[in-house]
Amino acid sequence: MKRKRRYNSTAVRIGSIIAFVVIWQLFSFYNEKAELMNPVFLPGPIDVFRTMLEYLEDGTLFKHVSASLIRIFKGYFLGISIAILLGYFMAKIRILNDVLDPVLGIFGSIPPYAFCPLFIIWFGIGEVSKVFLITYTTLLPMIGYVVQGVRSVDPLLIRSAKSLGGSELQVFFRVLVPSALPFVLNGMKVCLGLTFSALIVAEMMGASTGLGYIIVNARNWFLVSDMFLSLVLIALIYTIIKQIICLLEAKFLKWKKSGMDAIE
Amino acid sequence: MAYTKIEIRHLSKHYEDFATGSKKAQDIPRKNVIDNLNLKINAREFICVLGHSGCGKSTLLNLIAGYIKPDEGEILINEGKEKVTGPSPNRGVVFQEHALFPWYTVEQNIGFGPKMAHKNKETIQQIVDEYITMIGLEEYRKCYPDQLSGGMKQRVGIARAFANEADILLMDEPFSALDEFTRANMQKELLKIWGRNKATVVFITHSIEEAVLLADRVIVMGEGKVVTDTGIEMPREERELNNPKFMDYVNYFKGYIQDK
Ligand SMILES: Nc1ncnc2c1ncn2[C@@H]1O[C@H](COP(=O)(O)OP(=O)(O)OP(=O)(O)O)[C@@H](O)[C@H]1O
Ligand SMILES: [Mg+2]
Repeated sequence: MKRKRRYNSTAVRIGSIIAFVVIWQLFSFYNEKAELMNPVFLPGPIDVFRTMLEYLEDGTLFKHVSASLIRIFKGYFLGISIAILLGYFMAKIRILNDVLDPVLGIFGSIPPYAFCPLFIIWFGIGEVSKVFLITYTTLLPMIGYVVQGVRSVDPLLIRSAKSLGGSELQVFFRVLVPSALPFVLNGMKVCLGLTFSALIVAEMMGASTGLGYIIVNARNWFLVSDMFLSLVLIALIYTIIKQIICLLEAKFLKWKKSGMDAIE
Repeated sequence: MAYTKIEIRHLSKHYEDFATGSKKAQDIPRKNVIDNLNLKINAREFICVLGHSGCGKSTLLNLIAGYIKPDEGEILINEGKEKVTGPSPNRGVVFQEHALFPWYTVEQNIGFGPKMAHKNKETIQQIVDEYITMIGLEEYRKCYPDQLSGGMKQRVGIARAFANEADILLMDEPFSALDEFTRANMQKELLKIWGRNKATVVFITHSIEEAVLLADRVIVMGEGKVVTDTGIEMPREERELNNPKFMDYVNYFKGYIQDK
């Protein structure tokens, strides 16, 4: 279907990004002449790139990026893992679900960032409170995806696996896991955005490293170019991690794409 | 003496009635879907089960498969040596809705049973090759179920059950979703495969003609009991719609089913 139209989706997507950067640069050039606003407040891609080189030279770029990355990996993986465990047992054990579901509902109704000061009081200003906030923010919505995934298993498939001699463990890995996987991977993609916002909030509320810290620090000194650098880096890292999840999807959910289109 | 492969003794099963009010339900005597049913099936026999919709055919099959538990009575296998307590690889099942694993290819679906039994790679490959050739889907071995037509999926489902080399095969209206032409082909294929491995088959169907065409013995169910249990005394080659003897059988069973 795609081949017939000779339409190259990837090329259009890359073109779109390049066009955005070019327009941004042109607008910033124009702003320098026309002074729609103070040019310091609207740096172009070239200025941001120059700032990045400075950060690279004095080694601070690596320091900030790695600090943020470590927090993300700790918080994200902890959050996802706990959610998978909890979600699995909630889907399997009715009473556990009835006990936890209302409580999780109450907590879910409170924006997680409202807990940030509380976490700092409890766990101090260090890494623990930051990772805790990220874990908590990722965890809550992820549980829903896992529960939905585990419940989506077609009982007929479990029956046929058992009649073909599958043990409990084999049924778990060969029927339950593949059935739930699309929901879990989708949840991981959705929750990644929440992980990042929790990261930035945590780093803005008292940190001396990280991408969120660059933004607060830049605000105090009107270093708008630094701020833009941080924003670009956030977008870049987010996209890379999301792309990795998409690759996992493409690898493990090959079977899903093989079906028909609704309407050609 | 014939070897009794499956013996069903005083089997009863009822479902909770959700439709009536919960309190009143206790006053009404509960209605059994399977009601004190007795049946003996010999080894290598091909049994077809007929009956009007809702008479409990699928329930009976699910009981034999071990998916649901009886209220009373028991099902014994191999001259009473085993008792059905749950699903077992010795009792293969073919479902009306094929129930293939969508994340496995045709090959992997057929090889599922042997793989569960931890057979070695070469043996599995050999079994898969044999059954994939039998159903004529060699070119589709790497395809996922979503890429196959309804009839092809059903064939894979049958191959999957046969590849597990179960000596009992339970089939719940496996061909009812197929068009007449495919259905006729599948019936021939099924008899061919069965002719080779001679499993004991319990085959549920809505179609009287199909039952008379396939079975050694036809069971008509009604009100949770066996209404009639009749052997088809006619070689399979002679079973054709234009054969008057064939039509006699069809009309005989029609009488039992239309009475209801
Ligand atoms: N899980 C269930 N819960 C409650 N009632 C059920 C359940 N399954 C079946 N029944 C009832 O049991 C009766 C027999 O159902 P069953 O599926 O065995 O019929 P069947 O003979 O296979 O019918 P069909 O030919 O239409 O497939 C029906 O009246 C049905 O409403
Ligand atoms: Mg049925």
